[in-house]
Amino acid sequence: MKRFVWRAAGVALWLQVSAFAGQLALRHILSSKSLLSPDALLFVSFGAEAVAFLLIGFLVSFLAGGFARRELLVSAGILAVIAFAVLHRMKPPSFSYDKFFADTRELVIWSGLTGVGALLLGLWGASFGVLLGAAETPDLRFAFEAGIARTHLRLNRRTAAMLVGLGLVPPGLLFAAGVFARAYDETVRSRALGAAAPTSLSSVRGDAAAVILSAAAVVAALFLAGRWLQARAQLAHLQPGQRRKRPATVVMTAISIAGVSVGVWALTVVLSVMSGFEADLKKKILGTNAHALLLKYSSDFSEWKSVMPKVVSVPGVAGASPFILNEVILSQGQTPTGAELKGIDPETAGSVNELPRQVIAGELSWISDPTQIPVRETAKPRDKARLLGDDQYLQDTFERKEAHPDELAKGIPPETLQKMPGICVGKEMSHALRAWVGDVIQVITPLGDMGPTGPIPRSKSFRVACILYSGMYEYDSKFAYIGIPEAQKFFRMGESITGLELKFKDVDAARAEGRRVVAALGGFPYRAKDWAELNRNLFSALKLEKLAMAIILTFIVLVACFNILSTLIMLVLEKTKEISILKSMGARDSSVMKIFVLEGLVIGAIGTAMGLLLGLASCSFIERFGLQLDPDVYYISNLPVNVDSGQFVMVAFIAVALSYLATLYPATKASRLSPVDGLRED
Amino acid sequence: MGEVEAAPVRESPRIEAPLLEARGLHKSYWLGEKEIHVLRGASFALGPGEMASLVGPSGVGKSTFLHVVGTLDPPTAGQVLYDGQDAFAMGEEPLARFRNRNIGFVFQFHYLLPEFTALENTAMPALIGRMPRPEAEQVARQMLETVGLSHRVEHKPGELSGGEQQRVALARALVLKPRLLLADEPTGNLDEATGEGIHQLLVDLNQRLGIAAIVVTHNPRLAERMPRRLRLQEGLVIEA
Repeated sequence: MKRFVWRAAGVALWLQVSAFAGQLALRHILSSKSLLSPDALLFVSFGAEAVAFLLIGFLVSFLAGGFARRELLVSAGILAVIAFAVLHRMKPPSFSYDKFFADTRELVIWSGLTGVGALLLGLWGASFGVLLGAAETPDLRFAFEAGIARTHLRLNRRTAAMLVGLGLVPPGLLFAAGVFARAYDETVRSRALGAAAPTSLSSVRGDAAAVILSAAAVVAALFLAGRWLQARAQLAHLQPGQRRKRPATVVMTAISIAGVSVGVWALTVVLSVMSGFEADLKKKILGTNAHALLLKYSSDFSEWKSVMPKVVSVPGVAGASPFILNEVILSQGQTPTGAELKGIDPETAGSVNELPRQVIAGELSWISDPTQIPVRETAKPRDKARLLGDDQYLQDTFERKEAHPDELAKGIPPETLQKMPGICVGKEMSHALRAWVGDVIQVITPLGDMGPTGPIPRSKSFRVACILYSGMYEYDSKFAYIGIPEAQKFFRMGESITGLELKFKDVDAARAEGRRVVAALGGFPYRAKDWAELNRNLFSALKLEKLAMAIILTFIVLVACFNILSTLIMLVLEKTKEISILKSMGARDSSVMKIFVLEGLVIGAIGTAMGLLLGLASCSFIERFGLQLDPDVYYISNLPVNVDSGQFVMVAFIAVALSYLATLYPATKASRLSPVDGLRED
Repeated sequence: MGEVEAAPVRESPRIEAPLLEARGLHKSYWLGEKEIHVLRGASFALGPGEMASLVGPSGVGKSTFLHVVGTLDPPTAGQVLYDGQDAFAMGEEPLARFRNRNIGFVFQFHYLLPEFTALENTAMPALIGRMPRPEAEQVARQMLETVGLSHRVEHKPGELSGGEQQRVALARALVLKPRLLLADEPTGNLDEATGEGIHQLLVDLNQRLGIAAIVVTHNPRLAERMPRRLRLQEGLVIEA
């Protein structure tokens, strides 16, 4: 039993308490002095604390001359108690939404987690120390260890070539399948649209690199299959004694590699699809909404015409447009529906959102110039609308209106019709109201004049100027747009507006840019709200879902790492004799440990690389092939994917880190073997 | 290891000080409930460059004796002194380095690493000692030449005969020019003629390189030829 090194425990405790205090201080400073989001804040402060714990473990392993298990356990236990005492006095805010301050039970959990984190991360750091020879003089070299590890894994040129082939060909084939599926799809679609039907070859030609790559993958696959058949044929001719025997550990190694790659594959694909959904949602939200709203703590914003130029001149602002927002009831005949009526300026609206590009029938500019709205003929849906997947409604409505042109006017004389102001509605609302371009709809506001029995709702007739499709069901079914002057008149606001919509050059800096605009205007009474703040529920739900998926799928990788663990234990048993020989020749304990850690890391790294390639290829396949979703459920026609390199790096890091952890037990066991354990057997 | 106190550093090296000295070695194993005493206070000394044979009936503990003397296995009691210093008082790493530099082992079975060539196997102790690879291969090549295997350098152990394998093992044990060679029945697994050759080689190398050696053998004729003959009997080392 090794001596308990009090000095190491003391240093560990001192540093760990400093790290904990540092985390608290960092969080406090960052929250008051920077514009980081709450999530980023937690990530930075706890990440820094975790790295500190890791380094402390590393350092302490040198002081204690080994894993320093007991020293770290003692210091982590005391740390947990200190953390509880500090947190109890500080009364930190609760992480739960129900309470403001954290209660004792939550504090116990937090301080417990701090202690456990300090211990585990410390041991992890200490393992690096032990590997580098913390017990005696440090030794960073691992040349002969790598050579031995290579023979254990049978990593000669032949197997390396085979691994490269197996790693590249399946993703390559998947990629090729995506490329060809896309080409086929495009041919079919262009044929359906009635354009000069191009052959699938010509539609492929646009993406030369992809075609070459996929052709290479197919060739490589055929070559590999050929070699395999050849090897099989040769094997059949060999006598039983001539066949090379394959130890069980080699098969187990292959299974471990496959396990890691499947885990990494699943993790990357699911995360990419989830961030695809997130990116899609973000795109749709930002298509209809601006990056931020500039509002005023007052109902009178009539000076907006002088504020606009000031806002636009702030660097980082890409556009600004006034808006008025109120809730109303829309009705056509006997069908009423609630709506958000937004007054916009069609001239500048395009600079802050995508409205002009969401039009699928009519024109957005007709809301300020209603005389343009056709009276007799029916507006045709635009071609773009046919690509939305769910175009049956548009086609049917158009044909019905075409068949009954007199339905439009409802007996109102054309001159009166032309004087009616225009309104744009979303596709779903148009569906609900059965209103097409040119139809008359009533807008009713409850904020009417006071009558003898209370307020009397006010109503006004508008003609539909355009139909919009944003891709977000909520927006397409709830929003209606009219011109700013009409809105001011209707809501009796005089010259005032609700606020300005802003667009920035950098979406992700919306919060900071918003604050800068407010500062440029002199602060109070102006204020800015960015899009993330306006849609917080949606995005935090999505983020939570993604985190949950990531954690669940990490378990797959974890299970795969147990494969590595058992493979290495088998290897250690198989190589006991060899370990003894190496030790008799003067190999250090840390050298033996390095051999097995390297093996585990190589297994993990190969599996990770294969999994990442498979994941990448699957994402490309999903993107090109376009897996169909039910648009009525998801309101999105294809499964979205978004390949985020940061996410891939994160997954790779997690997989390799977990495989490193899996090596520690067998490697430590191997290094503790006595030199005579393997020599005594025979 | 902790209970054995470190021997004081020698003030003045005596002339012909023993390279290796075993003092009252005890070694026992537990087999279930039964304690088996293998060594019962074995003591002896070996000077630099001295060569000795060790004989004794099977199961008497010759291998255990070699392992203890060769610092692979700590004794239950007693001391193993090299140049008057207690080997087992050293830490794990200095002891490993000491073994790497000063002791070469040859076992009954060659115990070569099957995936490596003769050259790589021979160079292994040098590589473990962190000698740069080209240099390590050069000394390994020289040592293979010394044992008469310069034509088998790139062969793997599986492609060599039993005698050749044992020669490679010998080259591996001697590649760093250790001060002590411990051979555990190096010829036990070979036919008479080949064994004879290996033995002759051992004697030659002892004379040429001045390496001290303890050779365990069953063959009385080979044992006879050694300058010094030891016998392990009832857990004690006796001069025969």
